[in-house]
Amino acid sequence: MRAARGVGSRPAWLAASLAVAALAAAGCGSSDNSSSSSSKKDSKTTKTASGTPAPASSYPDPQPAVKPRSGGSKSPIKLAIMSECQGAFGSFDNQNMAGAVSALSQFAGAKPKNPNKPKDGFTGGAIGGHPIKLVGVGCGDDTSATVIKETRRLMEQLGADVMVGPLSGDESIAVANYAKQHPDKTFVDGSAGAQDTTLKVQAPNFFRFNGDGAQWNAGLGDIAYNQLGWKKAAVISDDYSFGWTSTAGFIADFCAAGGQITKRVFPPLNTTDYSSFAQQLPSDVDGTFVAVGGAGLIPFLKAYEQAKGPIDSKKFVGNLFWGTPGQFEQLGPRVSGAYIGGAGTAGDLDTPAAKDYANNIIGKWFKTIPPGGDAAPQASSTFTYGYYVNTWGLIKGLEAVKGDLSGGQKKLQAALAKTTLPAPYGEIKLDDNRQAITDVFVQQLYMKDGKLAVKTVAKIPEVDQTFGGTFSASTPAPGRKFPGCEKRSLPWLGKSQPVKVVG
Amino acid sequence: MSAARRLTSTPDRMVGAGLVLVALFAPLIFSEYWISTLLTQMLILGTAAASLIFLSAYGGMVSLAQVAIYGVAGFALGNLTTTGNTKGLNLGWAELPALPVAIGIAVVVALVFGALASRSFGIYFLMITLVFSVIANLFFGQVTKVSGFGGISGIPIPDVISRTAHPERLYFVTLAVALVLYALLRYVARTPFGLTLQGIRDDPVRMSSLGYNVSLHRTLAFGFAGFVAAVAGVLFVWWNAQIAPSTIGLSATIDVLVIAVIGGLFRLEGAWLGALVFVILNNYAQDVSFIGDRFHTLIGVVFLVIVLVSPNGLIGLWERAIAGRRRSEEDVADERRPTELSAAG
Repeated sequence: MRAARGVGSRPAWLAASLAVAALAAAGCGSSDNSSSSSSKKDSKTTKTASGTPAPASSYPDPQPAVKPRSGGSKSPIKLAIMSECQGAFGSFDNQNMAGAVSALSQFAGAKPKNPNKPKDGFTGGAIGGHPIKLVGVGCGDDTSATVIKETRRLMEQLGADVMVGPLSGDESIAVANYAKQHPDKTFVDGSAGAQDTTLKVQAPNFFRFNGDGAQWNAGLGDIAYNQLGWKKAAVISDDYSFGWTSTAGFIADFCAAGGQITKRVFPPLNTTDYSSFAQQLPSDVDGTFVAVGGAGLIPFLKAYEQAKGPIDSKKFVGNLFWGTPGQFEQLGPRVSGAYIGGAGTAGDLDTPAAKDYANNIIGKWFKTIPPGGDAAPQASSTFTYGYYVNTWGLIKGLEAVKGDLSGGQKKLQAALAKTTLPAPYGEIKLDDNRQAITDVFVQQLYMKDGKLAVKTVAKIPEVDQTFGGTFSASTPAPGRKFPGCEKRSLPWLGKSQPVKVVG
Repeated sequence: MSAARRLTSTPDRMVGAGLVLVALFAPLIFSEYWISTLLTQMLILGTAAASLIFLSAYGGMVSLAQVAIYGVAGFALGNLTTTGNTKGLNLGWAELPALPVAIGIAVVVALVFGALASRSFGIYFLMITLVFSVIANLFFGQVTKVSGFGGISGIPIPDVISRTAHPERLYFVTLAVALVLYALLRYVARTPFGLTLQGIRDDPVRMSSLGYNVSLHRTLAFGFAGFVAAVAGVLFVWWNAQIAPSTIGLSATIDVLVIAVIGGLFRLEGAWLGALVFVILNNYAQDVSFIGDRFHTLIGVVFLVIVLVSPNGLIGLWERAIAGRRRSEEDVADERRPTELSAAG
């Protein structure tokens, strides 16, 4: 039905404002390729961080590559990879793909199409005589709406049987819920670390071979309490699920060891002025755990200095954002000596498997991973590693059933649940919720040649998602008030092992 | 004159009826992915855009708050029906009682927004509704009791339209809802209220001096359009099973505006036409190697081309074609008339 008077006769402001809006829309979609992601390391010298390192036998052996193969006439295994090409993590697209394609090349006989551009995918590859066909690569933007749209495209339009991904936490919760509605397809995570994905959603066909954000901080509270002598601590964290989850790991660990949390401060995500939040942090605590991430970390530290005076690095513990390659260098000498949580990786580990992974797997299949430069130093990125172990887990599951996807993929899903990986930084196995039980690493910032650097100082063995019952399907999700502060027994308390590192 | 009107309305009706027929038999024509994903999404986005077009075409109000209201309904439904494994209030209601409550909350919010914006016109109205959109986005992002940044996931879907068991049913429900709302919007535009609204659009000062309460009419129109947007929000949540602040962010707000402009801001049908173009481009553009991830750039270019070539959108092109045909018919008639007259004389 036509209105009595059309928009064509409207004032010019409408066209002008709509054009501005269109330009804004175009701007929203531009991918951010500006941040670098290389993690440089020097492998010439070897030293022990402290104490007696864990015996070599507690680390898996290097895993040799299989011969190139391209399968026979059997039905192809249609694979989709849910990567990230826009939003805050858009610049890690090639790291994700490098991890996945390297695993396919190493263990399924595939070959990268372009050793300088992982995003181009691979050729060949087969499992049990079934050729592997990459039907599509999804482009996420760290939002759940986009990841669902892309997952639908990959699984329903392009007809993928199995999917690797996504990258970030909220996306993975959405994908796990999607998986629940599609029980005849199989999903393995990419690098996402939300706790709810496996602990709460519990999709029987969603598998995660990497740790969650809380697991990654296991051992930090123990170190703060027992080595730094903190008795009372405050926490400050971005007010969203990953910040809460990351902080929950520290709180659970610190309180289990006997510490107390006296103040929890949660600035909204993307805050630019942290002065009021720095003021809220108490002075009568022994230390502060900081899980403010991304662009907010340095403004927070500056606001803290203005409010409370110079930073004492022994009174701060950070999460993985304090060690994000390409970003942590800007924190400057003020935080040298601070302990930080990792993301289940330890690029400087002096073990054959860790070195082999960087140099003979990622560094073999790829020369460079844009935009970060050389491939091998980016092997320990949480994104490269996450996509690598998850794709490898999927390959092992497929091998166990000889590529047979019949019967609604139930055989594959059963095999995946039993899969263990002799992974580069320690063995990975899955719990009943199909979530990784994995070694995690505590790291420390230090000054090297006048610049801030990261070294791994301890291994926390076999960290599981529940933190000795602190988290379960029936407990609330990590949030502003949860978990509370309780002294309890954690399987890994007091069992952190010193590690041998290079550099 | 009446013959000329028949000429314009007949092709409209024929094409309209043809499209409804195609939509009804779409499951026989298109793949399951098209039905359960692309066409369903098109109908939902089209319904949201129709609420914008109604306000624009009949009320002279270009609103950027429609996605916010759509989100209010979606978040309300999410909070009411989830049962404990996600963020939000997890009230655990059944879907049926939650549905009117969620829509009711969204309509109340729309009436409040409308009352606040009703005295603004033109660019000021656009800006104030943009503020509503930003407020809604930040509210759900930062008030963690009702959502938080990550949003609400695992929202229950009524069994009768479960995608796993019945992949086509949600499509038909969405189609039926879109048709009913389209008819309702057309009907309201013809009521005394709708005619008054059009009068206010054309000359608010004159309508005011005639004794009409301009602000009240604009507020009520906003509330009514909010109802349409809210229904789209509920359908979105049932389609997607989750909703997050990013679903109603600036990008999504602009998307619905772009859909409305591509389709045509002066006819309701343009909403679904624009949504169809948007959804298809969004889905298939990334398969074209030189476009890849640059969908927003592509849709921006399409938008600019449409604004320049046909300010009335794709539906404007159709109108122009019809008008051209009508003119040529009238020209033929005019040429004949003197001959007929002289013959008669």
